[in-house]
Amino acid sequence: MRIRRVNSYVAIVATIVLGYYALVCLWPFAFNVYLTFRKTDLLTEDRFIGIDNYRFLFRDPIFWRSLRNNLYYLGIMVPVGIVTSLLCAWLISQTSGISRKIYTAMYFAPVVTSMVAVSLVWQLLYFPKIGLFAQLLSRAFGLDPNKLTFLQNPATALLCIIIMDIWKDSGLRTVVFLAGIDEIPDSLYEAAKIEGASEWKQFLSITVPLLRPQIIFLTAIYSINAIRVYVPIYMMTGNPPGGPANSTKVLALQMYQEAFYGMRFGYGATISMIIFALLVGLVLLEIRAFEQKWEY
Amino acid sequence: MKSIIRYRRIRYIKRIVLHAFLIAGGLVMVFPFIWMIFSSFKPSIEVISVDFHLLPRSWTLRNYVRVLEELKLPRGYLNSLVVSSIITLSALFSASLAGYLFSKLRFWGRDALFFLVLASVMVPPHVVLIPLYALITAFRWVDTYQGLVFPFLMNAFGVFLMRQFIRGIPDDLIEAARIDGASDFRIYFSIILPLVRSALAVLGILVFLWSYDEFLWPLVTVHKEGMMTLPLLLGHFTQAEAKYPGESMAACTMVVVPVLIVYAFFQQHFVKGISMTGLKA
Repeated sequence: MRIRRVNSYVAIVATIVLGYYALVCLWPFAFNVYLTFRKTDLLTEDRFIGIDNYRFLFRDPIFWRSLRNNLYYLGIMVPVGIVTSLLCAWLISQTSGISRKIYTAMYFAPVVTSMVAVSLVWQLLYFPKIGLFAQLLSRAFGLDPNKLTFLQNPATALLCIIIMDIWKDSGLRTVVFLAGIDEIPDSLYEAAKIEGASEWKQFLSITVPLLRPQIIFLTAIYSINAIRVYVPIYMMTGNPPGGPANSTKVLALQMYQEAFYGMRFGYGATISMIIFALLVGLVLLEIRAFEQKWEY
Repeated sequence: MKSIIRYRRIRYIKRIVLHAFLIAGGLVMVFPFIWMIFSSFKPSIEVISVDFHLLPRSWTLRNYVRVLEELKLPRGYLNSLVVSSIITLSALFSASLAGYLFSKLRFWGRDALFFLVLASVMVPPHVVLIPLYALITAFRWVDTYQGLVFPFLMNAFGVFLMRQFIRGIPDDLIEAARIDGASDFRIYFSIILPLVRSALAVLGILVFLWSYDEFLWPLVTVHKEGMMTLPLLLGHFTQAEAKYPGESMAACTMVVVPVLIVYAFFQQHFVKGISMTGLKA
């Protein structure tokens, strides 16, 4: 029988891993739950108020507005982003050699650049009435430029941010789809060609179904992003962020503002728990979608 | 014969249409950057004007001069570089150490510990934001590098990635070293680390990009301008200076262009790295 001695590598590394995650994840999570039952500014006031934070949350119209905005963000960003990138990847996959490399590089460039800088550039492109987009739209479609106020119009502000976000990450999704398309065997396409299927038909009946794992994966990633979105809205909407008239307020932003502007840390913690609950729900849905058997 | 010529002509037209679409799409992707760079050389009143022209009518460097005067941009570069480098080095080192621990070594509670690391991916940054802020305040780490890097020293996704990679290393190699009397630390440094270099390079690019772009945590932990990282400095500056779009575009250009240059050189690595893992923050 072998005598087990304590392995110093295991002892040291496992302790560091456990200690670090206890400090930056386990304890903060527990403390955050604890905070949801308190009214505190982390300095002078700190008292137990039971479930009042949750009770207030469900009657808070701004919370419902933020939640709705997050779902709207998800509902547009995810399908439009995936369909456009799928088409881009399909087109790029028809090219080869140097031109394919150049296209990939162009489409991917916004992915590596800073979201803060990109938000500022788009904010100026969206400049009301005389900005570049306003001029383009009024010239191309004859729209009244005085009505094109983009980010200052509560009806369009969030949509403008979503369009920017779709642009920013489309290269990433395209590259993931391209990698998937490369793995589809050529023999499938040849068989379809012999049967006389058009290229569009081949795309719909071979490429898209075989990219199902990538589609599910990207849907999951971007749904999570849509629930957590924060930076572009903080950067592109006025002072305070989330306007005009709360039309771009999202949960992460409301949480930040309640906690760090309003010093209502207990209430901020409560909103963050809602973000957490939504993410857990999404991940469970994603796991189910992955495990589902697919019949052709 | 005729039908072959016709077939070729159709194919030719199809290729032209294909490239026309792709070039149009590519221009949409890079146009905002081109506009940003040209705007940074325009006087502010010219940036937003009724008659659009891409090239500046009168080229000027005044925007850059003003930004460098008003903004501690060199300090911002230094802060971003220091913070992102510490985070990247630490994340690579800890991910490979833990990757070896979870893939090749057996000990009591291993699966539970690994599950804990994976579960932390599920916890969004917002949930730990307030508690970590309270912790940083208690440590008096507000406005310090320690405070800025603290929550990112170990990356759960990195641990998972390295575990997958190290799993593929044959056990015989490790057993042979062990028979020669090498400790696990020795095995880690002289066998594991050299073999996972390429995976570490990919992970390094990803972690560096994420940390370079991190916004929420610095926003909460840094109040002094001298400690701000680039994205924060940029946000801080433009919110105060929204009246001067030329200057704002000059500041953006100075933040974006270095990354785009590095990207142009290592393009394949960026694309491969991100598509391989398919993930971002």
